[in-house]
Formats: sequence, structure tokens, C-alpha cells
Amino acid sequence: MAEALVVRNLSKRFGGLRAVQDLGFSVGEGETLALIGPNGAGKTTSFNLVTGFHRADSGSVVAFGRELVGLPPYEVCALGVARTFQVARPFGTMTVLANVMTGAFLRDKTVSVARTRAQEAIAFVGLSAKEHIPARSLTTIDQRRLEMARALATVPRILLLDEVMAGLNPAEIDQAVALVGKLSARGLTIIIVEHVMRAIMAVARHIVVLDHGQKIAEGSPSEVVANPEVIRAYLGTGYVHAAQPVAAPC
Amino acid sequence: MRRVPRNWLWVGLLAAIVLMLPLVVTSRFAIDIFIRIALFAFIGVAWNLMGGYAKQLSLGHAAYFGLGAYTSTILEIRYGISPWLGMIAGGVVAMLASLPIGALCFRLRGPYFAIATIATAQVLMLLFLKFRDFAWGAEGTTIPNFGDAPLMMQFDEKSSYYFLALGLLALGVAITYRIEHSWMGYYLVAIGEDEDAAQAIGVNAPRVKRDIYMISAFLTALAGTFYVQYIYFIDPATAFSFNISVEAALVSIVGGIGTLWGPVVGTVLLETASALLQSWLGSSAGGVQLTIYSLILIAVILWRPSGLLGLFEDIYRRMVHARPARPKEALLDG
Amino acid sequence: MLETLAQAVINGLLIGGIYALVSIGVTLIFGVVKIVNFAQGEFVMIGMYITFFLATRFGIDPLVSLAVSIPVLFLVGMLVQHFLIRRVLGLGDMPQIFLTFALSLLLMNVALLLFTANYRTVHTGYSDESIHLGAFYVPVAKLIAFGLAMVFSGILWLFLHFTDLGKAMRAAAQNPEVAMLMGINPHRVFAVAFGAALALAGAAGSLLMPFYPASPMAGQVFVLMAFVAVVLGTLGNVTGALVASLMMGIAESLGIQFVGADSGLIVVFLMLLLTLAFRPSGLAGGRGR
Repeated sequence: MAEALVVRNLSKRFGGLRAVQDLGFSVGEGETLALIGPNGAGKTTSFNLVTGFHRADSGSVVAFGRELVGLPPYEVCALGVARTFQVARPFGTMTVLANVMTGAFLRDKTVSVARTRAQEAIAFVGLSAKEHIPARSLTTIDQRRLEMARALATVPRILLLDEVMAGLNPAEIDQAVALVGKLSARGLTIIIVEHVMRAIMAVARHIVVLDHGQKIAEGSPSEVVANPEVIRAYLGTGYVHAAQPVAAPC
Repeated sequence: MRRVPRNWLWVGLLAAIVLMLPLVVTSRFAIDIFIRIALFAFIGVAWNLMGGYAKQLSLGHAAYFGLGAYTSTILEIRYGISPWLGMIAGGVVAMLASLPIGALCFRLRGPYFAIATIATAQVLMLLFLKFRDFAWGAEGTTIPNFGDAPLMMQFDEKSSYYFLALGLLALGVAITYRIEHSWMGYYLVAIGEDEDAAQAIGVNAPRVKRDIYMISAFLTALAGTFYVQYIYFIDPATAFSFNISVEAALVSIVGGIGTLWGPVVGTVLLETASALLQSWLGSSAGGVQLTIYSLILIAVILWRPSGLLGLFEDIYRRMVHARPARPKEALLDG
Repeated sequence: MLETLAQAVINGLLIGGIYALVSIGVTLIFGVVKIVNFAQGEFVMIGMYITFFLATRFGIDPLVSLAVSIPVLFLVGMLVQHFLIRRVLGLGDMPQIFLTFALSLLLMNVALLLFTANYRTVHTGYSDESIHLGAFYVPVAKLIAFGLAMVFSGILWLFLHFTDLGKAMRAAAQNPEVAMLMGINPHRVFAVAFGAALALAGAAGSLLMPFYPASPMAGQVFVLMAFVAVVLGTLGNVTGALVASLMMGIAESLGIQFVGADSGLIVVFLMLLLTLAFRPSGLAGGRGR
């Protein structure tokens, strides 16, 4: 399996705070990787570093053989790495369709082509009925769908999803999981940041755990869940003794 | 986008009225007002491309107005070159100037961008106040009167200036329309809404901002040339006047920021109010015009920040269709 | 030559104190309320006119009229915040910029209508006096203005760092959401911030009158200086604004002395453009946007 994304020695400080330290992992093409860790572990910062939102202090991020560190976000996107934001950032005054078309224009500047591509992406996430509604009138969940459609319209090869499941009820989580599954089936390489265990277990075979900006564990779901370091990070030292192999739920 | 045919009908009707205006109204005072309206609507349209759609709120557009005015005047007086060519040259100069100015100013966002643009217009004014040999310094200069000389952009008939200004306005509106319906229009609005999110989906914001600034500067410069040709005079205080920068932004905000016709509506409103006031009060009492403008601006911002165009559309719909207004349509609906 | 230089520095420093009052107000508002007050200069102008009328009608010395201009403008600040600014918070750049901008235009032009463009001056006993320090002379009026400007700045600093309300203001400036969670009412804090900023502007106006003529446009120069100082001193940083203002006063004075009488403004703008080009986040760096 070819490597889609290879992260090596990635580091970033904000003033005195070391947000990400010496992070390294790789994602195979078509794989779905979950990036997990307690709050403040550096997961979103890692996304920001990969996509060029923040400039890494050191390290490298190579996507399909191209170095991403130092590139501005729009070039990263052009190279095929798209991301959604934890808190959705729709272009409020524009309709859903217009929002997604803005993403589609990356690949083709023709309005009709962009419109078609946008409509496909919108249909994929299930927002077709709301195509002409101003984005700011959407519910939070629909705004998340919009985020995803917009990112998909840029025809990415790697998609970074930042906590898309947050605040969803179980039925909605299943829908979201199904969506991610469909994307994966199309061959998209996916990295998700998530807290919702159920979703992680359902979509990811490969997990990287962060704590305080550093990678503390990596492996399959069952390996990671039993890892004493992971337990310590989430629950504290007192629970480490309870570590035992756990079968993936659901 | 509304049904195309009906819209064009209205535009056509309006265009006919506007074109026939000088035939119906012959008072010099009135035509002067029409020219002012057309010209400042054009400047507003030029500003709107950048300030309205992409929300890059420049308060220094007078810089390009002045550069256009001075370029064509220098070429005309020192080299005898026709202002028609000088106008284009002025536009090019402005475009080129917008590159370093943009590079500097775009480092700041929001109000500090605005302040930086004010500063650049001021610097240019100060520089031209000093350029005695090159550009007549603080006294400025008049341009030679060739009588009726269309090739030198001078006309006997006042209405000719009106049609020229209208032509510029039509150009500005046409360009805005084309941009609005192309990928660039979407990119501009996206940048204006959330520049970072736009970059995340592949919008090369720095380049788009740079390009729209160039277009905006070019058009504003054309207005500068026109103005000199119309009043036969130029000096730094007039050419780089802060009032021009203010009005450029004002008409768009009052009329409808980021819309095609907003600047036109805003200009008609403000200039008419100003003209009425002037005739009512007798002379242009120093602070009256700006007092009224600022009160209108405050009112618009507090009650209808998106501008009055939307309000008029609602009223029109209510009156003509006797239906309650539809929920506010998005700016771009694909 | 060295003496001319030193004299120019002294002159610049003194006027820099006034710039400091104005720019501290701007940076305070920006740091706490997160908007740029384009009208700050006009409140200086109002302070000047208040002082002028107190002096000509009642013979009150400008320094004494501080007791009027400061509280009056504090109150005005709170009212402006409550009735105007509050309505555009959270609406984005455009309404915020153009509201204070429109306010600036309004105040300037109303002043023009009411008072005409004529310069109004106040002549006090000390308006023309100077102290001689060796080879240098220090105009008394400017020295007093500088001294009091530093005193007021100091008082503000103490307020921000040692009173509960001041600390609440700094908290709200750094992190409005958390501040709210801690029970700090943002609008109350904003009102006080606005009041304090405008009070400083009013004080500047009073301090200026003995040696500077009042006119409707008088505030423009000061607000421009203030903006540059605020950017230079890093947005929201009160000490930075103070230091930058003094620097700018000196730079302007040196420009006037060695380049030409009307070059002061160019020097200032050049400083702004240079700052933008090389260190956009200001001398204290860090804060960025």
C-alpha cells in the first residue's frame, strides 16, 4: 500500500507552549486513520500544521510525495489535502450551492462545471433539498454536512475531518459513519479527529493517540485501548492497572 | 439569480430614461448633478468590487483617483497626449501602484487595513504637494481649454460629459456583473466572509485580493481623468481628497454593499439629498453635506447594515406583487 | 547642531505626551471592546472646545477645566458605548469601522456648523513662558501638559493593574468568554473602557488649549498619530502605545526640524509604512492581528 501522507518530526510552539512535539505517523492510501487524545492534546493543531494553517517550526509532511510544510493552505488544498473545521465556517450569506461551488472552482473555473460538481457533492452528503438556502440558516449538523461537501468539491485525495461527530445523537452518528464509509469505499484517504469512541471503532483500523502534543500510542483499536499510556492520559494513573485487551464494541 | 428576462426589461427601461434625461431636463445645474451622480456611482462601483464583495474596506481610493487624474494631465500638458490615451495610462499607473500598496496594506486586516489605505492616500497627496517641477505642487494647474475638442476629451455640450460618465458607469457595472457571475465573484464573497476558510478550500486569497485591487484601482483612475477634464483643474487637495475616498465607500454601504446596483442606489440617494440641501440652504454651508451623510450612514449601519437596496427591493415586492417579501435571498445562489 | 537635535527631541517628547493620551485611549478601546475608534480625535476636539468656552465665558484656566472635561467625556464615552457601539458589536468589520468613522465625520461637521472653521485659542499666563535648562528652553505649557499626561497615563495603568474593575477589563480584553464565565459583565466593562478612553481624550484637549488652537479638524492630526502609535506599540498594548507615542512625537519633531516644516506628517506615515512592512505586529510583537 502506497503512503498517502507521511508526517515526520512535526513540531510547533506557541510562545512557551509546545503544542505539537516531534509528531510522526503515516497513513496508507485509502486508509482511514483516527487521531485521538484528550482535549488539548494537539489534534486540531496537527491538522492546522498539515494543511498549512500554521507554519510548522520543524519537521515534514509529505503527501503523495509532495512536501507540504511551508505551503499556504490553498496550495495544500490544490495538492489534494482538504479539511473541515471543528466549528463549521460556512460562508453565511451564500447559499449551500454557492458555498460548495466555491470549493469546486479549484479544479475548474467554469461555472457550469463547478455547479454540476457541487451538486454531486451536495447530493453525496444529503443536502440536495437545501441547495438554495443561505448557509447561515442551516442547522449545526447541516452546516457540518456543508463543510464536508465543500471540502469534497475540491476533489481531495486526503480528507481531514475535525470532530464531525461532536454533539450528534446515535442515529446521526450512524449516518455520519456511513458517509465516512462511503468516502473510504471510493478510495479516499481519511484522517479523522474524534472523541466519539463508537464512531472511531467503526471507521478506523489505525489509530494514533496524542497527549500534550506528543504521540503516545499507535496501532489497531484493540491495541490502543489496552495501552496503559493511553489509559493514563485519559483517565489518570489510577486506572492503568485495569488495562486488559478489549474487543472492539458494536 | 432572478428570472433573467424580467430583470433586463427593467434595466432597459431605466437605461432609456437615463439616456433621455438630458433631453428632458436642460438646466445646467441639474445636468451637473446627473454627471456627479454618474461619476460617483462609477467610483462607488469600482470601490464596491473590492470593498463590497471582498470586504477589503479601503478608505484610500482617492490615491488612485488622483494618480489617474495626474497621469492624464501630465501627459496632456507636457506631451500633448490626448486624455483618452492618458486615461488608459492613468489606469495602468494606478494598477501598478496598487501592487506595492496592496502588498503593504493587506498585511493588516479590518480597521487597520482601512487606516493603512488612508495613510497611503495621504502620503501621495503630500508627495504631490511637494512635486513642484513635475506636477505643479500645491497650486495645481488648469488644463488648456480647447473649446469643443472631443479628441482631447473636451466638449461644448455639457450633456456629452454626462454620456461619458454614464459610459464609465456602464463599464463598471458590466465588469461587476461579469465578475459576480464568474468564479471570481464567488471567491471574492468567500474571502469577504471568511478568508481563512476560503483558503482552506483552495482560494488563493492573496492573489485574488491583489487582482481585484488592480481592477478597482484601474477603474477609479479613469474617474480621476474624467474629473479633471470636466472641471478643467487639478491640484493635490482635490485629486487625493479624503472626501472622495469616503464617498466611494459611503455610496456602496448606504446603497447596498456587495451588490450590483447598491452603489448606484446609494449615490442617487446621497447626491440628491446633498443637492436638495444645497439649494434649500442657499450655499454649500461647510459641514452640512457631510453632517447629513454621516447621519445617514449611522442610521444605515444601526438599522440596515446590508444597505438600503434590500429595503427597496422588499418595498417594491410588497407594492407591486401585494405579497409579503420572500425571505432574504442569499447573495449568490448559484 | 547637537543642541538643535536635543531641543527637537525635547519638543517632540513633550508633544508625544499628548499623543500618548490619545493613543492609549485608542488602544484601550481596541484591546477591550475590540473596535477601532475612528472618532477618538473628535473627542479631543470636544475637550478643546469645552476648555475654550470655560476659559472665555468664565475665565477658568484650562488646567482647572480638566475637572470638567474629564468627567464629561467619561460620561459621553459611556453613553456612546451604550447607545451606539453596543449595537454593532459582533457584526463584523464593516459596521464597526464605519460607525465610528461616521461618528467622527458627524462630530467634525457639526462642530464646523456650530463653531465655524476659525481657530480658537486660549491664552494663559504661562502660555508663552519657558523654563531655561542650560542651552535648552522648555515651554511651560507643554511641560505641564506632558507632566499631567504622564500622570494620567500612570493613573490608568495603576487602575488596570491594581483595581478589580481594571483587572476585569484586562481579563475581558484577553478572553471575553472566560471573563463572562467569571461573572464579569462585558458591557459594563466596555462602558468603563470607553469612558476612560474618552476621558483621556478630553484631558488631552484641555491640556492642549494653552498652546494649541482649537478647530473642528483639530482632532484629525491626533487620531492619525494615535493610530500609528497604536500599531507601532502593538494593538491593545497600553505601555506600547505610550512608548510609541513618545517616539513618534520625537520623530515628527526631528522631521520638522531637519527636513522641513510640513514633513512631520510624512515622517509619521513613513513610520507606519515601515512598521507595516517589517514588523506588522508592532514593537511588542506577538499579538499579530
